[in-house]
Parts: sequence; structure tokens; C-alpha cells
Amino acid sequence: MSESKVSVAPSERTVIGITFGNSNSSIACTVDDKAEVIANEDGDRQIPTILSYADGDEYYGQQAKAFLIRNPKNTVAYFKDFLGKDFAAVDPTHNHASAHPEDVEGTVSFTVQEKEEGEASKLSVSEVTTRYLRRLIEAASEYLGKKVTSAVMTVPTNFGDKQKVALLAAAAAANLEVLQLINEPVAAALAYDARAEAEVQDKIVVVADLGGTRSDVTVVASRSGMYTILATVHDYDFHGAALDKVLIDHFAKEFMKKHQVDPRENARSLAKLKAEAEGTKKALSLSANASFSIESLANGIDFTSSINRLRYETIARSTFEGFTRLVDSAVKKAGLDALDIDEVILSGGTSHTPRIAVNLGYLFPQTTKILAPSTTPAAINPSELNARGAALQASLIQEYEAEDIDQSTHAAVTTVPHVNNAIGVISLNEAGEEVFVPVVAPETAVPARRTVHVAAPKDGGDVLVKIVEGNTHIKVTKPEPKVKDESKSAKVEDADEDGEDSDFSDDEDEEEEEKREKVWKIGSTLAEAAIRGVKKGGKVEVTILVDANLSVTVTTREVGAKTGVRGTLSA
Amino acid sequence: PTLPEGWTAEKDFKAIGKIAQNEVTQRAIEPVGPHFLAHARRARHKRTFSEDDRI
Repeated sequence: MSESKVSVAPSERTVIGITFGNSNSSIACTVDDKAEVIANEDGDRQIPTILSYADGDEYYGQQAKAFLIRNPKNTVAYFKDFLGKDFAAVDPTHNHASAHPEDVEGTVSFTVQEKEEGEASKLSVSEVTTRYLRRLIEAASEYLGKKVTSAVMTVPTNFGDKQKVALLAAAAAANLEVLQLINEPVAAALAYDARAEAEVQDKIVVVADLGGTRSDVTVVASRSGMYTILATVHDYDFHGAALDKVLIDHFAKEFMKKHQVDPRENARSLAKLKAEAEGTKKALSLSANASFSIESLANGIDFTSSINRLRYETIARSTFEGFTRLVDSAVKKAGLDALDIDEVILSGGTSHTPRIAVNLGYLFPQTTKILAPSTTPAAINPSELNARGAALQASLIQEYEAEDIDQSTHAAVTTVPHVNNAIGVISLNEAGEEVFVPVVAPETAVPARRTVHVAAPKDGGDVLVKIVEGNTHIKVTKPEPKVKDESKSAKVEDADEDGEDSDFSDDEDEEEEEKREKVWKIGSTLAEAAIRGVKKGGKVEVTILVDANLSVTVTTREVGAKTGVRGTLSA
Repeated sequence: PTLPEGWTAEKDFKAIGKIAQNEVTQRAIEPVGPHFLAHARRARHKRTFSEDDRI
């Protein structure tokens, strides 16, 4: 085969979902249409994306991670973001404590001693990826009892074409057929929507994927189970490693006070600190107290200490606030308000942190669901979302020929008009005022079909069904100004921005905050229809179909009636 | 709302406006999930919703 692509007949496929991250990777399969994350032979479901060589043997995952302390030079870590990139474009910050990336004719490589004797080898980042993927496939094949042939892999939304090509080539070299590359936030959304108890709804979802070396926040319009990305924000400053650093500094200072040695100045001591800090951080996500102990940290001195969650939240506060700002900026980038957001999905390892979910709770109204383990008991493990989504997608498309998948995912199929305004009907509220009832939500991809039931006027009779466009805007009701609070009222415009809300003290001045609510504004009328002789307390069913060419078909009838009124607006 | 008196239209339906091209934005749907696959199937076979429902 000339192309760097593996092709397997649908009947011979064994598929899995793979999440390939900078810090950790996961593999998942589906059992009876439910996704399940596979543990490797070490028992890990989050498998560190690390490859290490010692005495001629290859180690990956947790075992390789342990070698960051004893054998850092022959250990390759944090390499995923280097795939398909020029050497000049990569940021080697996270690789200081392991094998350093090197420039080999523009591509990124690592020098490791992979054989017991002889010269060290130069491995390109593609080769490292291939070898690592082989180990993942092996682990999945052992678990499933048959050779894994194909997979759906997740990629960040800013993974460019060159990077995708490089990833596909590395996978092909590992003899893996990649059925499709899907975006990480969409995989996370799918993992939630595919649960049996989930209802497909029109909603705006923010996916905050907080990882080890990067954080990605994505605003997704979810419309009848189809996803459209509205905005993305990527950040390389606020992530799990930054939280590790907070703990490293905290405990290093404590150690210095006692022993006058800075363990951060010695590479090996620092590697030990980093490993233990990560463990302590994870413990603090689960319990209110965690110990921190390292044998022979520096100068042969053992170090033991502990920290409680409150103290940790205090020293990590500025990093936590950074996450909140990221989410806020993504919502703004989408041209939306916090009130427009229906759900926040917390994804990625760092999302286990309870404080981050609490802070996001302050950013959004109470009606917004924050899906994280600490706020929603039914939340899915944030570390597993992407792999589950990939596994679900893999099981959906495993029957398809490779060509069918390519054609279905082609831009001609995926690029469609999305309506800017909502389309709905006018109904009367209890006070007899005209209110807008949305039928087709804004940002819905067409063709789309939606049906609602609207209560007819109480006494029944002849009803006018008025189809109109609608738009939301934020109505701000300013509070009664208080004399003492000058600075506050000056800032009132952006009172729900970061910081203030993520305050540790409960909002003591809640009453002084302005009241913001989302209201529908009725736009231009599209059509009118009459339903005659509606029973008392009857309901009217309205179905709106927007076609791909923007023509609108309205069908309306009294609920229970056989005939109704139907009409079409040509585009 | 209640039908105003004297309101008439052919077959009780009156078309007034329409969705203009400038009221939509071309965006890419994510090719993921069962509902997208259903959409792709309809798009490739040029089927409408009701035709698809019948199959």
C-alpha cells in the first residue's frame, strides 16, 4: 500500500477508542453499547504517556513514569504535542526533567539508550508515538482476547492537518487502522449524551478539558444530538502541572526551613517532589487531608508532612481562578453570556479538583448543570470521558467501509447553515402578555425539525398560531444603590466576572448584586395560521421544519385532532 | 392568542416572512454521534425527515 493507511474490512475489525494525551492516555471499548475504559496490565486506566528504556527493555505508562526519577535521560514524556510540528515551533518546557527534544532536520527527536550496549538511538517523535501506541493496542488486545485492528482517536480542536497526518502515519506504523479522528470536547459531550438515562435536548454546553500540560475550553451547541463548536480557547499556563508546582514549592519551602537545603535545585530531588506532589494533589481531590512523604529527598534526609484541602485551596487560589477565567473567556468568545449555558462538562484529570467545580458554580446561574464528581453524583469520571466518547463513536462506525466514513465526514456533509435566530410561536402567559416559546433554538443546523405543544387560550375557541423569529438578550435589573458601596456599584457591569464570585467567603453581599436574566425578544413574523374550535384547556401542536434550502414548513393542529393546517414559506 | 375577528387566509395559513440568507451562518457540524450519522445518511441519499422515518 502506498498510502500510510491501514485498511481493514468491517467484518474483521476489533475496535476501541483511544485518547492520546500529553500526560496520560486511555483505551476504551464498548460492551453492550456501553462504553468501558480498559485497564492495562498495571491496572491503570489513566496510562501515563511515557516511554522509557532501561537495560535494553522498553517500559511504558506507570512503569516508565517511575523512571523519571532514576533514569530521566532515557525516558521520553510529554511528546504528543510535538507530533507533526517543526522543531522551532515546539515548547520543551515540560521536557526538562526527561529526554530533551532535539532538532533533526527540523523534526523533533529524542536520544535514548534503548539497547543494553552500543550507541544511543535517535528516535523521532513519530517513532516514539508508534511504539507507545503499540503498547496501548497490546494492552487492549490482551484485555479483549483478540487483536485490536481499528480505533477512533481523540485530538484537540487545535490539532492542525499536519499533526493529524503525522498521528495517522504513526498509528499506521503501529498497524492500527484509525477509523476517524474526533475532537476531544465532542467526545466528552457524546460520552454524556450516550448514557441510557440522558435525554437528547437542545442545549449549549461548555466543555472544560483541564489537563496536565494544557487546558482547552470549548463551547458547543448541542442540537438534537448534533454538535457544533461555537468557540474554543486553549491555554498552556493553567493546568495540572501548575497545581503540582504550587505543592512542590510549598513543601520545598517547608523542607528548607528545617534543613537549609533547597530540594528543587537537585534534578533527582525535584523529580521526586514532582511525583509525590501529583500523588498528594490527587489525594486532595478525594479527601480533606493528604500526606506528603519522600524517602531521601535531599542529602539523604527523609521528608514527611501533610496538608489539608483548605490550605491547598488557599495556596493554589490564583491557579484555580485562572481556570474560571478561561471558561469565562470561552463563553464570551462565543458571543454568549453565562446565562446562555445549560451545562458545563468538566473533563480531564485536573477536573477532579472539587474547588474548580465550586468556582465554576459561582460563574454560572444555578440553572446551569456543572457535571463534575463533586457537584453531580451521577457525573462520569472526567478522566474517562474522551476515551468513552471515542469508543462509542468507534462502535457506531465499525460497520462502515472506510470510504463511507470519509464521505460522511466530508466538509460537504458537515458544513451546513445554522439559523442565527430562534424560531418559535407566540403564546400568552398567565398575565395575558405575549411571550415567545422557542421551537427551533438559535444555532441549530438545518435541515431541522422540531415540535412543541403550546397551551391554547383557556377558553379554547379559534386560535391564532403566530410563527415568529426570536432572540435572547440579557435584562439587567440594577439593585437599589447603597451608599457605602461605591466601588462595587461602579463595577456592577461585569459583576459576574471571575474573581469576585470565586471568592472563598460566601457571597455576603449577594443582595446588592444586580439581577440578570435572559429574556426573549420577539422578532419578525414569519407566518400565521388559524386553528378553529379548540376545546377548553386544549393544546396546540406546532411542528416547524426548516429545510436545507431555508424554506420553512409549518404544521399545526390541536393535540388529538386528526387534521391541521400546513403551509410552506419558500426560501 | 385568540384569533382576531375577520382573520382569513387561504387554507387558514398566511405566509408573511421567510428566513433570509443573512440570518444563517455556515458552520461545521461535528461528524460524531448517532444523530450525525443519521443526518449524513439523509444528506447522502437526499432523503427528507419523513422519508427517513418511514424506512
